[in-house]
Order: sequence, then C-alpha cells, then structure tokens
Amino acid sequence: MRISIENFTKTFGDTTVIKDMSLEIRSGEMLALLGPSGCGKSTTLFAICGIHRMNGGRLLFGDKDVTRVSSQKRNVGVVFQNYALYPHMNVFDNIAFPLKVRKETRAEIDRKVQEIANLVHIGELLHRKPAQLSGGQQQRVALARALVREPDILLLDEPLANLDAKLRLEMRSEIRRIQQQTGITAVLVTHDQVEAMSMCDRIAIMDNGKIVQLSSPKEMYEDPTSDFVAGFLGNPPIAFLEGKAAGGGFRLANSEITLPVPSGITIPDHGAAMRFGIRPEFFQPNNGLKLNGKISFVETQGREELYDVMLENGAVLRSIQSQGAGHKLGDEVSWGIAEDRILAFGPDGRRL
Amino acid sequence: MQSNFRNWPVLLVLFVFSAPLLIMLTFLLVDAFTTKVPGTMIPNGLTFHHFRFLWTDLDDGSWGIWGVTLNTFNFALFTSLSVSAISLTAGYALSRLAFPARGFFLGSLIVLHAFPTVTLIIAIFLILQLLGLYNTLIGVIVVKAALELPFGIWVMKGFYDTVPWEIEMAGVQDGASRFTVWWQLVLPQVQPGLMAILIFSFLSGWSEFILPMVLAPGTEAQVLSTYLATMLLDGGTQADFNLFKAVGLFYALPVIIIYLVFQNKLMNIYGGGTKG
Amino acid sequence: MQRSSWLGLAFLSPALVVVLLFFLIPVVLTGFFAFTNMSTATGVKGGAYVLNTSGLRALADAGLPKSTLEQIEGAGYRVDAKGLEALAADFGQPVADEFASLHDGEVFSKRRDVERALKDLRSNPIRKTRDRKIAADLFKRSLLNERFDTLPGFEAALEEAGIPDADRPLITQVAYTGWVWTTENFGFLMSLDSTWQYAKNTIIYVVFTLSFNVLFGLFLAIATFYLPSGQAATFRAIWFLPRILPPVLYIVMWRWFTWDTGFISTVLSGFGVSPRNWMLDTELHAWTTIVLINGFVGASMGMIVFSSAIRAIPSSMLYASEVDGASRLQQIWHIILPQLRWPILFITSYQTMSLLTSFEYIYLATDGGPGGATEVWALAAFHTALNNYGGNLQYGLGATYALLLVIIGLAASLAYLRLFNFRNLIQKPRIEG
Repeated sequence: MRISIENFTKTFGDTTVIKDMSLEIRSGEMLALLGPSGCGKSTTLFAICGIHRMNGGRLLFGDKDVTRVSSQKRNVGVVFQNYALYPHMNVFDNIAFPLKVRKETRAEIDRKVQEIANLVHIGELLHRKPAQLSGGQQQRVALARALVREPDILLLDEPLANLDAKLRLEMRSEIRRIQQQTGITAVLVTHDQVEAMSMCDRIAIMDNGKIVQLSSPKEMYEDPTSDFVAGFLGNPPIAFLEGKAAGGGFRLANSEITLPVPSGITIPDHGAAMRFGIRPEFFQPNNGLKLNGKISFVETQGREELYDVMLENGAVLRSIQSQGAGHKLGDEVSWGIAEDRILAFGPDGRRL
Repeated sequence: MQSNFRNWPVLLVLFVFSAPLLIMLTFLLVDAFTTKVPGTMIPNGLTFHHFRFLWTDLDDGSWGIWGVTLNTFNFALFTSLSVSAISLTAGYALSRLAFPARGFFLGSLIVLHAFPTVTLIIAIFLILQLLGLYNTLIGVIVVKAALELPFGIWVMKGFYDTVPWEIEMAGVQDGASRFTVWWQLVLPQVQPGLMAILIFSFLSGWSEFILPMVLAPGTEAQVLSTYLATMLLDGGTQADFNLFKAVGLFYALPVIIIYLVFQNKLMNIYGGGTKG
Repeated sequence: MQRSSWLGLAFLSPALVVVLLFFLIPVVLTGFFAFTNMSTATGVKGGAYVLNTSGLRALADAGLPKSTLEQIEGAGYRVDAKGLEALAADFGQPVADEFASLHDGEVFSKRRDVERALKDLRSNPIRKTRDRKIAADLFKRSLLNERFDTLPGFEAALEEAGIPDADRPLITQVAYTGWVWTTENFGFLMSLDSTWQYAKNTIIYVVFTLSFNVLFGLFLAIATFYLPSGQAATFRAIWFLPRILPPVLYIVMWRWFTWDTGFISTVLSGFGVSPRNWMLDTELHAWTTIVLINGFVGASMGMIVFSSAIRAIPSSMLYASEVDGASRLQQIWHIILPQLRWPILFITSYQTMSLLTSFEYIYLATDGGPGGATEVWALAAFHTALNNYGGNLQYGLGATYALLLVIIGLAASLAYLRLFNFRNLIQKPRIEG
C-alpha cells in the first residue's frame, strides 16, 4: 500500500513541530524515518496511524484519503518501543485481541494466531504471560500482534531501542525478513543510523520537522546533501575541517595551509566559509593529499583501530585503520586524504 | 544503618509515649472478656456477660444490634461501591480523555480534595430535608459517597496515570474503541487501585460517625457508631465501660481484620492523607 | 467535538452530579443561609401567617393601638363556605343548605345573632341551646390562631377585619412564621463574648495539636527509621491503630482511661489521690486530653508521610555522611531534616486545615466542656445549627459560623492548587483520534 503524506503540518499548542511536510512511501518498501530526538519523526509516525490528528495537509493510503479516518479504521499495525503488550493477557490472547475486536470466529482466530506465531517463531510461547518473556520474545509477540490482522501498513517506533546489543543485531535481520516475507509497506522510526541503513530500502532523514534528504542508504552515505546528513550517518562519524574559500582553494581556519578543491565542486566566492567533510576511512597513511598532525587519541575496536589526529591548527581528523599499524599516542604523523572522496559544504551547510 | 548510637533512649521515649495507647488497647481486650475486683484493674474471672447485647435486647430503644450491624454493613458497602464505581470512570476521564474544560475539572478536583467538607454539613442537612432523604440510610450513603469522592477520584487518577499510554495506543490501533480499550485493556491494570479504594471507603464508611448522627438520627437508620455513641453519651455516671468495650470490639472487628490483612497497603493510602 | 470528548463527559457526569449536589450547592447555600434567620421555628421551606397570643403580646409591646388589637381578636361571625361545610358535617347537609340559602355571606358581630338565625331556620331549626352555641362557633372568624398559607390570603383577611392600613405591615411581619433575609447574624455573633472565646479556643486547639502532630510525627518517623525493622514495624503498627480504629471506639478508650472509675483514677487511688474525672475536672486537663486525643491520631499521618520521605533519601547520601564522621544527630540535622522541608510544609498546611474544621473527637470526648472551655469554632457551628439542648436549631446563625470556615477552606484549597504545581497535571491526552 502506497502512503502519501501531502503538506502535513502538526502543532502542539503554540509550537509547530512539523510544517508543510510531504513524503511518499512506495508500496512494499521499508522506509526509515531517521533523525535526532525531537525532529518530528515519531510525530509523523503517530499521524500516519491516526493517534495524532493532522493540523494541515492530507494523508492517502493508496488512493484513499484517510486524513479524517479514525485510528481504528485505518488498518495500520504498530510496534511500539516498549512493545505495549497487554500484561494481563497471555501471548495467545495478546495476538488474538485485534481479531476478537473484529469479532472473527474462534476457528479463524486460532488458525491466524498459529500461523503468525510460526512466522515470528514464538509458537511455543503462546501460553506465557508477557512478563515471562525475554525482550526479544516480547518484540516478536508485538510484531505478531501488529501483523495478525494483515494490516496494509506496518509502523515500527524505535523497535530495537529496548534490546541489548546482541539481540538488536538478531532482531534487525528478523524484522527485515518478516517484512520481506509479508511484503508489507513498513515505516521504521529510529535515531540509530546503523538500524536505518541496515534494515531499510530508503531513508528519510529528518531535522527540525523537515525531511532533509530522502534516498537509499548507500546514496545517502556517499552523497549527502548537507553537512547535517553527512554528520548523522557513519560510525565512527565524519570529521569536519572548518575554513574558507581562498584563491580557488580551501584555506584551513587559523593556518596558512590551503587545500586544493576537488574537481566538479563549485567554489564559492573568495572568503566565504566552507567545510570539508572527511570520513575516517578516507584519511589514511598512503593517500595523496598529506596533512601533518599528532595522534591525540587511540581507540582499539578489536578488528580495527581508530585514531584522532590533531592538525597544526587544532582541528581534528579521524582515521580508521586495520589492526597492527602500531601507531601510538603522541606520534607525529603525516597522513593523506582521498581527494576524490572529500565532501565540501557551503556556508549554509548545503553540499557544494 | 549500622549502630553508631545506642537505641535504648529512643526506645524509652517511644515506650513512654506509647504507654497510654498500649494500656488502652490491652484493657480494651481484657475488660471486654473479664470481670474484675472493684476499685482495681485486676481481672478475676472470664465472662461473656459484656457481650449480652448480641443475644438480648438492652432495652435502650435501639433497633437491636443485628439490625444496626446490617445498617452499618449496608452503609459501608454501598458507600464503597458507589465511590469506587464513580471514581473508576471519572478518574479515567480526567487522566486520559480529552474533553472541553478538562483543566478546569482537574483544578476543581484538587480544590475539593483539600476542602473540609464538614463545614458544609449544615447546608447538606437542609438539602437532605428538602430532598426528603433526611433520616434515611440512602441519604447518608449518598452524602458519604459524595464526600469521599474527590479522594477516590484522585487516587484512581493516579493509578490510571501509571498505565503506559502505549497500551492504549496499541489497543486503538488494534481496532478497539476507547470504551473497549478502557474496559478490556486498562481496567485490569488498575485493579490494585480499585481494591485500595474499595477497602479504604468501606473502612471510612464503617467508622463514620458525624454524618449518620446529624443526617439520620432515627432508630431505623442507626449504625454501630451512633449506637455506641448513644450508649457512651447517655451513660452519665453509670457508664458501663465493660459493655462499651465489648460493643466497641464487636464494632471494630471488621476494621481490625482488614487492618491485619492489608496493613501495608493501608498505610500507603493513608499517607495520601484524608483526616487530620 | 471528538468522540472521546463525549466518552469523557459521559464518564465524568456521575461525579459531576454528585459534586454539584453536595459540594457546590452546599457552599452556595451556606452563604445564603448565613443571611437568614432560619431555625427550627421558621422551618426550611418558608412559612405561613399566624397570629397567636404571643404574637399579639408582641404587637401590644410594639405599640399597636388597642382598638386594632381588639379587632384582631374579635372579627365577628361570617357565614362562609368553610363554616357551612363544618355545619353540614356536624348537623347534616339540609341544615347547612337552608342556612346558606338564607344567610350566605352575611356577617354577624355577636354570637347571639348567629344563634338566633340558626334557631329561626324554618324546616331544620337547631333546638338545643348547647348545640346552637357549638354551631354558631363554627362561623367565628377571628384573625387569632387562623393559619394563612399565602400573603394575599392574610392581607385579604386583614382587609375584611377592617384593620387600619397603617398597622398592617407590622402585623404581617409578626404573623410570618417562615424565615426572612437578615444581615443581623454577623453583628450578633460579633457582639457575643462566647464567639471570641470560640476563636481563642480554636487557636489553642490548632496550635497545640498541630505542634504535637508535626513534632511527634517527625520523632516517630526518624526513630523508626533508625530502629531495627522489627521494632520499627511494631511501633508503626501501634501508632497507626488510632487512625484506623472507629473514632467512637477510640474515644470510648480515652473516656475509660480518664474517667473517675477509669485507669488513671484507679492507679492514682493507690497513692491516695481521690478518684475524679481527669478529662473534665479542670480546663487544663480537658485541653491536655483533647490535644493528646487528636495528636495521637494526627501524629500517625506525619509518621507515614515523613517515613516515606526519609526512605526516599538515597542511602549513599547517608553512608557518605557517616564516612565523613557525622554523628547521628548531625546526620538528622544536616541530611534528613532538610529533605523533609516539603513534607513538613505539606503536613502543617493540611493539618491546620483539617484541625480548624474538625470537631468529631471533641464532641465525643468533652462536648466542649467543662463549661465551654474546649468549645472550638467548628463545634460551636455544629451546636448552634444542629445539636443544642434548647432544641431550637438555629440554622442561619450556625451557617454564619460555618461560612467563616468555608471561606478559610476555599482559600486554603486555592493555595493547595499552587502547591501541587497545577501545570504538571493538565498534560494533554496523547491519543487525539
């Protein structure tokens, strides 16, 4: 089911949380709403499922306008961050609740619950109470309950935030598997870029109630439209060099060093502020565009090592290298930037 | 805390101050079941004579202890049921539902919660007379329930506030109406609150004295508190405290049982504070 | 309006009805009643117009002319429907019918004339003199002891009796048995010495009981905090009992404790002290008992609230202070008491309010005695309006006493509203659909 949000506006009292937002989610795709807390991603999700009313704009499921349709009639399944399982019901009753409300027959309910329980691998847990389940199992029950009535749309609100790291990895692929198996249109709200990148077909990254960029994870990582997007994606995060345009090059702040600007980038007027974004994997000992600095921080991550290098002007670049390079804290180094991978941003943060 | 301070001085002070209470409680039990040497406190024999009011008429114009007990039970029970039922819906509305002037209602709830209702008793007395409910048990029940209500709603609202919003959101998404959500999903979560209010308002009704005395002084609607108070106040110099204590013990029996069973819960509710 | 609005209002409506009936209307009515002279004598529902002998005396005292008084007493004999009905009932319909056909509407000034008319009936004369006297009296129409339900009826009667216009307002006022609006209650109260005594008593009562409640509640909370848990639980349970026991039973125990055949007397008689009622023999003893009775109940509330506040103090803070070498008293003074500032404020304000308005225990224990020494304001309101020995319950005057308490109550409740940080309470519901 295609979801179209047209000119969506949402206010709480005097504060406008979302203004004039439009977004189209394709049928059968899994889309991530990614952004820092307070950016309006959960508000958007609640507007899609009908818990929030829209103050302006339209919402269409397929060709049907559902702006004024109540939550109960929208046929949207939601998985909440804390799963919101009904504590007094066992797993079977939890999953069966949406069907009972619809007054389906006993036999129908039994069949559907069994089917969905098998899909999410909780067939053995049907008689347990939610309190007797692990976090991952609760998550599966919540998924089953959201999916059992065959909703047109599945919404996931920070579904992995309450799980520990190992389970999170497991559930990431589980949710994706179930979504692909059912072919349902899904929207995932998350503040974790790894989740968004690993699970979704497309990412809509939000900031201050606006969608800043909408594209596939790979495209968004490699070709961010703003420094905000570049900074949000990638772990360890991208490092920025501040400076300004000077004589066809990029003059680093508080220093005499001028870096050449890669071809294909429009250089702003002389003296205008600029930023270079350099991802850790593109600042390496054997790249061409050398910069001198001193290692100010070393973090061993097991397979890799992360270095912070403080340049002469005080700016810090990050570098991630395979284990065994043997650099130490305080070492003077001269490493290079992969010139064609530099992301340049203008004074307003827009990509140049 | 480890003992870097000896406890006995504190214990001593506690004992001195608790002594009147301990003496009163001990002799409440002792005197109800014993006879004693005149002019002393020493019991000299077991007796059930003080409980004679249970099987004989005391000839004091009252309705008979069992009728009075039934009245008291009905009074406490129906007060408790009405307070709980009304708090259950009103608490939910104030906690969860959007409706016009909600803020105003919440504000007045707090004001009522703090408002000393006994100041209104003169007006309520006259209102009951106008309604024709004066001197009836129903009248006292309605008034008692009304006066307990702000506290009940307040407590219930507190319990509803702790139910996660997501449970209700999930229910709505699952296709249930707000009413179904309340009835099937939320109510089971606030059962402890319901129990608390049932117990609390039952005890409060069982112990109530001023309202029955003022609003239903007739024998038909007599309850145990007025029954015992009449004995006590009319006793004059011939006060038979053994009888009073036997009646009192009989009267307080349900309270003591409930206290023993729900002691910790009750302390928590009373911590919310209803009487000075 | 959204659907949940209707559900909300429906869910709230039972509570609203009850609150309206037993809070809002009583508050308003207390205000109204304070401006009336309502009492048992006037009734609640309004009154009628009756002139009785005492009313007549009052009129004479007020200087009504003698001639008017006589007019009121002897307004003569009138053949009217009422009299004819009574005649028919006592002497048969034919007599009444004939009498009506001859004399309906006539007024006789003397009984003798009526008797003659009755004797002169052609077909149904009343023969016995005694009967004629009785029959004639059925038509006697005096304003005295005649009950008129409405003002126009009474005025018409005055008109018929020929009472001079100038005297009518005074007569009407005296004859009215119902309640009237008045502002005299306030002045009257102010003029009574006892009113000021009640105010003084109330202050004594509140100040001493409150101090006991708060200080002893604090002591109990802190003491039970440091005691081993078994002992602490025992003392908490003992101190909680007065709160949970029915007030009447609680007072039975106190009366026994202080009675002249009770505990104190019996024990002290062993030391040669003559038995007496230790609760009522002196004002000091009465006050001591009252403060203790209320204090033993009130302290448990402080105990519970303070205890939970103390338990909420992070134990690391207490450990840290011990490591720093603080003695237990220093710990109480520097760590625990500062944390209890808000609970103490809460208990103080809450209990001030409830003590100001409470009278249950005092009523049961001393009933204001000895000699009004422990009669507090709320008890005075109660006595005046609902429970006095004279039997004439003065609702209006009692409401005037109560009105002051209502005003204090409303003010305190509004203060409460600020204390509770109202803004936090009115968070919007999160489901908007």
